[in-house]
Amino acid sequence: MSTPAATVRSDILDRILRDYEAVAARLPDAAVPREARGRAMRELSRLGWPKASDEQWRYTNLRAFERVPAFAPAVLARTAGGAPGVSTPELPPPLPGFERLVYIDGARADTGALTAATSGPEWPAEQRLGLLCDMFASDVAALRIRGTSSIEVLFLTSDAAAGAACYPRLQLELEPGSQLQLVERHLGSPDAPTLVGANIAIELRAGAQLTHYRLQQCGAQTVFTDTLSARVAEAASYSVRQVAIGAVSARTSAQVRLAGRGAAFSWQAIAVGRGQQVHDTALKVEHLAADTRTEEVFRGIADERARIAFSGHIHIAASAPGSDARQSLRGLIEGAGAEIDLRPRLEINTDEVKAQHGATTGALDENLMFYLLARGIDRATARALLKWAFLGDVLRAIDLPEVRSAAEHGAAGQLPDVVAIGALT
Amino acid sequence: MSTAPDTAAAAPLLEIRDLRVKVGGQEVLRGVSLAVRAGEVHAIMGPNGSGKSTLAHVLAGRPGYEIVAGTACFEGRDLFALAPEQRARAGLFLGFQYPVEIPGVNNAYLLKAAVNAARRERGLAELDAFEFLSVVRAKIKLMQIDESFLSRGVNEGFSGGEKKRNEILQMLVLEPKLALLDETDSGLDIDALKVVAHGINSLRAAERAIVLVTHYQRMLDYVVPDYVHVLARGRIARSGDRTLALELERRGYDWISEQAAA
Repeated sequence: MSTPAATVRSDILDRILRDYEAVAARLPDAAVPREARGRAMRELSRLGWPKASDEQWRYTNLRAFERVPAFAPAVLARTAGGAPGVSTPELPPPLPGFERLVYIDGARADTGALTAATSGPEWPAEQRLGLLCDMFASDVAALRIRGTSSIEVLFLTSDAAAGAACYPRLQLELEPGSQLQLVERHLGSPDAPTLVGANIAIELRAGAQLTHYRLQQCGAQTVFTDTLSARVAEAASYSVRQVAIGAVSARTSAQVRLAGRGAAFSWQAIAVGRGQQVHDTALKVEHLAADTRTEEVFRGIADERARIAFSGHIHIAASAPGSDARQSLRGLIEGAGAEIDLRPRLEINTDEVKAQHGATTGALDENLMFYLLARGIDRATARALLKWAFLGDVLRAIDLPEVRSAAEHGAAGQLPDVVAIGALT
Repeated sequence: MSTAPDTAAAAPLLEIRDLRVKVGGQEVLRGVSLAVRAGEVHAIMGPNGSGKSTLAHVLAGRPGYEIVAGTACFEGRDLFALAPEQRARAGLFLGFQYPVEIPGVNNAYLLKAAVNAARRERGLAELDAFEFLSVVRAKIKLMQIDESFLSRGVNEGFSGGEKKRNEILQMLVLEPKLALLDETDSGLDIDALKVVAHGINSLRAAERAIVLVTHYQRMLDYVVPDYVHVLARGRIARSGDRTLALELERRGYDWISEQAAA
């Protein structure tokens, strides 16, 4: 396979293209059609590797990607069709009433794909990292939902993937009126820089309802990127509860289109970073139809030298009168070298809309602190309590007890003083 | 002062001498002196901006105030040398005029942490969950609060009246030696006022003192003070027994403010 000339070349892009060429013939069509892989490769070549000078990538830890030794999927190096035969992270307890699918290093641990995969959405420039998964994915969880379902998808990264990459791929189609509770978890701590590049494509037909719980708990050497595209049809409802606590570098690029009248979207997310972690989220919501609703809540805590960024762009088209869009973005800077960048952006092209946004970044509220001190709580405990409270409204929105508990324990793991005070029940 | 208990001979629990405090460069307290003994209930009244809340907050250790001169001793200890949490653990309680909401920290957790911090300070064993619940349940009943509130966030979604009842509940559980209640009566309807007053009265004891900061006489119908002080222009302009509060109700504050200015 010949590589077309890229308009923007860089060392890392050259490496990616070389790695792709080396394995392209062995990548399964069942995960991504061959033509789609080629298209993705050409599109990435055309767009070039993101640069920090681009506004959309300004806060992404692009250097972390450069430290990934190889971009080919780790599973290709294993014996065909066999179980990985490597140590994998311990599985969390199963969720009662949920069907569980387990993917190890991007490949399903038991049988193959559930339904035929599609090539997936076309990614715009600000979601170009999604092209990596389109190029390299070795498997897919492709699900078509009818009626009511509860599904947990575990994406585990094993030690065998260390120094390489894995590409979780999830394609969901909810038929009209269907309901799904989906838990998506990313786990695993390989001991060398490892790329996890996930793509999530979701189609909600009329009246469908999806509650999507997303827990990113990757290890400290993982470079994580996930690219999500969702289209929400008339009277359908899509709710995301996202907890991002792992990985040395995590970038979420999400785009949601509210395409039918009365479509609703809710995004409630937390990111907790410490050490030198970078968590960067770029969420774009497009209101394309009348009476559509968006609610975004983001809470980020940056400790030590961590950097957390959230870009929330809501675009209300002329075709979307009666839209209602609300954003509440809050950041808490805990470390002297920490940084938080919150960028709300409302772009309204029609009248008769309700829109409000608020973004605040700062230290702990001194009024709250004094209230606790005045009750005899020592300063360290008060700080820990208030940090925990800062995340509270999003954590409480996780209405599945087991998932909430996992999210709370994960978040508390990032805040050692919270564990020490026993705030967890 | 016929209603005053016979405590004059005892050493003051709280003794403030010539306290001068600035806020934002402006002197708000301009020489306040006050002695409060165990067993006494004092009411500090005064017009808006007279420094009542400043006094309560300075004593509790709120940051943002500059103590220019004067002293405050609590059981003989220099209050201003103690951090806010140390003052609380030593037995000083501030009931807030505007209690903050802290979603994500539940009431039970805060109460238990607070009561055990105070117990540690006194060399007592910490209460376990069962002991704590048995203590708090009785107090909850007294304050006519639903027990489900224990699992709710601190003051989260509470009405103004519920927040004030919660303040008094905290006071009942912590059993402080000195309670400073900053306009606890503000925003309360008459039923809530009676419940709050009942809670305060239940804590009156020979070993404890209560200082009520209030703008209106109404609260003092239910919690009858031993002494009433009027703060005007940053000084205690007049002291008396509860009849002074009744006089203020009739005449307003202007005449005292004018005297203070003279």
